[in-house]
Amino acid sequence: MTLTTLPEWAALGPVFALVATALLVLLVNTVAPDSDHGGLFATLTTGGGLTGLGITVWYLLGDTGQPDGGGPIVLFDGNLVVDGMALFFTVVLTSVVVLVGLASYDYLESYPDRAAYYSLTLLSATGMTLLAAANSFVIAFISIELISLPSYALVASMKHDRGSVEGGLKYFLVGALSSAILAYGISLVYVSTGSLGFEPVAEAIVRDGIEFPGILGFGILMILGGFAFKMAAVPFHFWAPEAYEGAPAPVSAFLSSASKAAGFVVTFRVFTQVFDGALGVVDWVVAAQVLAVVTMTVGNLAALRQERIKRLLAYSSIGHAGFALIALAALTGGDDTFVLTAGMAHLFVYGFMNTGAFLIVALGEYWGLGRRIEDYNGLREQAPFAAVAMTVFLYSLAGLPAGGGFLSKLYLLWASLEGGVAVLAVALILNSAISVFYYSRVVRAMWTEPPADDLDIEEHPTGLYAAIALALLFTVLLAPGFGFVLEFAETGADIVTG
Amino acid sequence: MTVPLEGYLLLSAAVFCIGVFGVLVRRNALLFLMSVELMLNAANINLVAFGLEYGNLTGQLFALFVIALAAAEVAVGIGIIVSFDRNFESIDVTDAVTMRW
Repeated sequence: MTLTTLPEWAALGPVFALVATALLVLLVNTVAPDSDHGGLFATLTTGGGLTGLGITVWYLLGDTGQPDGGGPIVLFDGNLVVDGMALFFTVVLTSVVVLVGLASYDYLESYPDRAAYYSLTLLSATGMTLLAAANSFVIAFISIELISLPSYALVASMKHDRGSVEGGLKYFLVGALSSAILAYGISLVYVSTGSLGFEPVAEAIVRDGIEFPGILGFGILMILGGFAFKMAAVPFHFWAPEAYEGAPAPVSAFLSSASKAAGFVVTFRVFTQVFDGALGVVDWVVAAQVLAVVTMTVGNLAALRQERIKRLLAYSSIGHAGFALIALAALTGGDDTFVLTAGMAHLFVYGFMNTGAFLIVALGEYWGLGRRIEDYNGLREQAPFAAVAMTVFLYSLAGLPAGGGFLSKLYLLWASLEGGVAVLAVALILNSAISVFYYSRVVRAMWTEPPADDLDIEEHPTGLYAAIALALLFTVLLAPGFGFVLEFAETGADIVTG
Repeated sequence: MTVPLEGYLLLSAAVFCIGVFGVLVRRNALLFLMSVELMLNAANINLVAFGLEYGNLTGQLFALFVIALAAAEVAVGIGIIVSFDRNFESIDVTDAVTMRW
């Protein structure tokens, strides 16, 4: 439908919406640098996210880029592709931008340079939506840098806070290292195939056989390593707890949900579409199985011993990277579309419940609660809504039937059985059981422990509450609406694996 | 006289390994950055040499992008290192341990 009414480049509408908003924020700040525009910037950011989200949902419902609507839209000589998968992930990414934009308004009340904060968030989100549509290694590398560079600055943005700067430095050092590894991996793929577009590389691998299989194999493993940094998977996960703890809490929410989802979309696309024919060179499915099991185990075991709530959530988000990696690890040639669908649907639900949990921490920091789990003792008395919302988010993350998280984990379990990899199913169940323990510690603190004497909450910031309510609404609604998500995920996965 | 293609691959692998070595042993954040630059330039050597071999411009074009992005990365990185220096009065990366466990 849209093909007949709009030019093809309009398929990139969400990207344009985000980048235009970022420039608008900078423009407002240039014209009137001295006045206080916190509310305006937050409104613009939320509006930009909503515009991108609206366009994407409209395209999805109108079958743009899907088999019924004329197939994927290929732009710029095959460098970008807008298909079901790109649109599906753009929905997650723009939704997180909306939530973070809403929440940042209250959180940043005393923050010195808000224009920089909002425009960096929007630029990073632009990179993420572009990465979802990347169809060549050149675009993928540039988009990853466009995500990373603003993220480094955002994490370190509290310039006089030692934790923030330290987290930013660690994030930057690991990020610079992994992007160098990614660039070298891409150069090795170019050495062995002579092209950098996803389709030409895939064709070259299948057509010629490979002259130097060792070089291509190294390249593939290095690229997997570079992407593992974005997904916060082992062995490139060290930055995550430090960066999430040091960063302002809305930034942690943004990075742990949106940045991770963007890392996964490019990994799914590259490994199912491009390196599909290279399994004889290096068995990346086995590599992904090892990564998945190790990542979920390391994340969940480390989360068990955390005393500080942001680190606990950081390790839980590493564990979830392991769960989502099942979508790659179970691609053993069974029902690949189903496996990929399960991973995409899990990332969709995760986007809402994880953002919600980090926004509760943002609320806690706004109230000056402190960073340890004990600081949330007795929250039910002063802020019952926050306590209920946090309980739902955490139990949904654990995979208990409190929201969409239960169904998405069930599908991941089913997917690992479908792929015939029993060890993944066992690891998934064991790790989910472990995760119930540490999530329960936070829930117990909020509901059963007596509050500290000086716990006195007077303010109820509207923006933060609205963002949390939205995240809660979607986390709960995604349980009955999970079939709807699955349907779109399956259409997206079908094009990529087909 | 033309250099055989294996020569470029060996050169780039050597530069990359020097970079990795630097990353692993250097404690100064600026030297860490220089080591990362070496690794990126190792990728550029591959891209440019094999761009000539394959007779297309893809590799050289991507090398230009990598150079530009490396510069952008250093700009952000130096900013973070300066603010680290102001907070910790050191640019030794092993000093950044206040949050460990």
